[in-house]
Amino acid sequence: MPANPAIKQVSDVAWEIPPSYKPGMQVPARLYATKKLLDNMDSGVIEQVTNVACLPGIVRYAYAMADAHWGYGFPIGGVAAFDTEKGIISPGGVGFDVNCGMRLIRTNLRFPEVKPRIKELVDLIFNLVPAGVGVKGTLNFSQSQMGDITSLGVKWCAEHDLAWEDDPQHVEEGGFIKGADISKVSRQAISRGVSQFGTLGSGNHYLEIQVVDPGRYLDRDLAKEFGIVHDDQVMVMIHCGSRGFGHQVCSDYLRNFESGMRSFGIEVRDRDLACLPFSSKEGQDYYSAMVCAANFAFVNRQIIVNQVREAFSRVFHRDAEALDMHLIYDVCHNVAKVETHTYDGTRTKVLVHRKGATRSFGPGHPDVPAPYKKIGQPVIIGGSMETGSYLLVGTQKAMEETFGSTAHGSGRTMSRTAAKKEVRGAELQRKMLDRGIYVKAATMDGLAEEAGMAYKDISEVVETMDRAGISKKVAALRPIGNIKG
Amino acid sequence: MTYRFLPDVALADIAFEAESDSVNGLFETCALAITDIMVDPRTLRATTERSLSLTSENLDRLLYDFMTELIFMKDVDSLLFGDFEVSVSEEGTSLAALARGEQIDRERHMLRNDVKAVTMHLFGVKHEGKSWRTTVVLDI
Repeated sequence: MPANPAIKQVSDVAWEIPPSYKPGMQVPARLYATKKLLDNMDSGVIEQVTNVACLPGIVRYAYAMADAHWGYGFPIGGVAAFDTEKGIISPGGVGFDVNCGMRLIRTNLRFPEVKPRIKELVDLIFNLVPAGVGVKGTLNFSQSQMGDITSLGVKWCAEHDLAWEDDPQHVEEGGFIKGADISKVSRQAISRGVSQFGTLGSGNHYLEIQVVDPGRYLDRDLAKEFGIVHDDQVMVMIHCGSRGFGHQVCSDYLRNFESGMRSFGIEVRDRDLACLPFSSKEGQDYYSAMVCAANFAFVNRQIIVNQVREAFSRVFHRDAEALDMHLIYDVCHNVAKVETHTYDGTRTKVLVHRKGATRSFGPGHPDVPAPYKKIGQPVIIGGSMETGSYLLVGTQKAMEETFGSTAHGSGRTMSRTAAKKEVRGAELQRKMLDRGIYVKAATMDGLAEEAGMAYKDISEVVETMDRAGISKKVAALRPIGNIKG
Repeated sequence: MTYRFLPDVALADIAFEAESDSVNGLFETCALAITDIMVDPRTLRATTERSLSLTSENLDRLLYDFMTELIFMKDVDSLLFGDFEVSVSEEGTSLAALARGEQIDRERHMLRNDVKAVTMHLFGVKHEGKSWRTTVVLDI
């Protein structure tokens, strides 16, 4: 992106664009980035974050995190909070894949035990966790169960022996967001979703076996709080979302939001920012349906965890409890939630949209589960399959500055089509194997599209948010096995 | 009837531009492009036929709904189609279509990307002279 004189540096890694930049801006835009990340950010981010700043009822700032890149309406890596009475709700501020998110599970296995069996483990998980075009899950829920499942999320799983007793408290919102209403979800969405529980999907979704990477970063004191006690401890990370259910919810409501705006006299700078008043019946209907989709995704990741625990148990001949395969945490990174925040000296409810952004609540917050109350909410930021990921914690500064929000991943720098021209999937798979990462992919095209060079440097993204004080690094995690749809 | 992929339009997803000399051809071309994203069409057989009948407010919405229906059938019935006959009404608010294909066979089909939704980004049907065109960005 060429230098833009409107962007002012306000701190080491924070930049602002004033409301005078564009007619209609209600608030400034704030970006978190090093100079290098900012210089390499696509110019679409600036256009989009300043368009978001024009939306009715937005408060404080329109944010773009360090991994920001162009999206539909909102940039990916975008955060915006709205007054619940005067503000809007926008499907573009959530994303098609509602509650696409990350789940991290620990084990008490160490790298030397896992390394010789990584192929066996990955191959087995690949067989147990369906991934790719049109896959279906192995559990046969009925459509009549979908109301309860999408209302109660992981709590429903625990009540039906599909989760461990302590799983729900290690998931954002205790495993379900309140406010779901299945009557606001179309039959098409229910039909698409009912057979997809426990499936990984494709695109940038993955399931990764990882090992703690002290050479890159490890805060041993903080890591202990998560049950990470060895420098070569093996973890599992899952990245996926609400599958066809969430996508259909978004499609259904986007269709109507565009035409609905006229009746409320709302105009937006970009049709992908279609929005309605949060307090309107239509806005509330979308919210209720979106919450169903968010809870669907929590359940989807829970079913996958069960399959992963099964696979580890079979390969290492110990049950998953003996392997200490407890959840560290599960975070959403595409969602809109009603949260209570303090800004301008007042404590108030706002609707926070996080699109490709992660909640990052600090120590002591009532929504941070008891085991982590002292240290802050776990934050899981996923990198590309070649570069690895990070575990971090939320901070008080995030509460003060960004409505408790941080980045979610690396952010793409190259389109899928361009990536496939640069890289051959089979060759990439071989190179990764040479580097100690065994990858099993449903398609070689899909693998090539997810090559590391198509993404920003995850370490720089994470470092930026750490330097900004928004999320604090705990441990870097290096991939040793990966499953892709 | 042609379609071409647009590598610079969507970083995380897939975009294509479709063109035809008829509105029916435009719908059929879009359907073929979606299939091409999901599977190598040369590996598809036409052993199953599905009739579709849709009504929408206008032509843009009709095309959006038609493409969404194909994604729905992929997820719910595990069907992929390689051949289409579409007949759009004069008003552009309804269509009847025949889609021929088969159930997904992971051993035989060269599967590619899983298309999850049609976005509204850049979307709209353009008719100039004999040319019918559209740009479609699909969420992957």
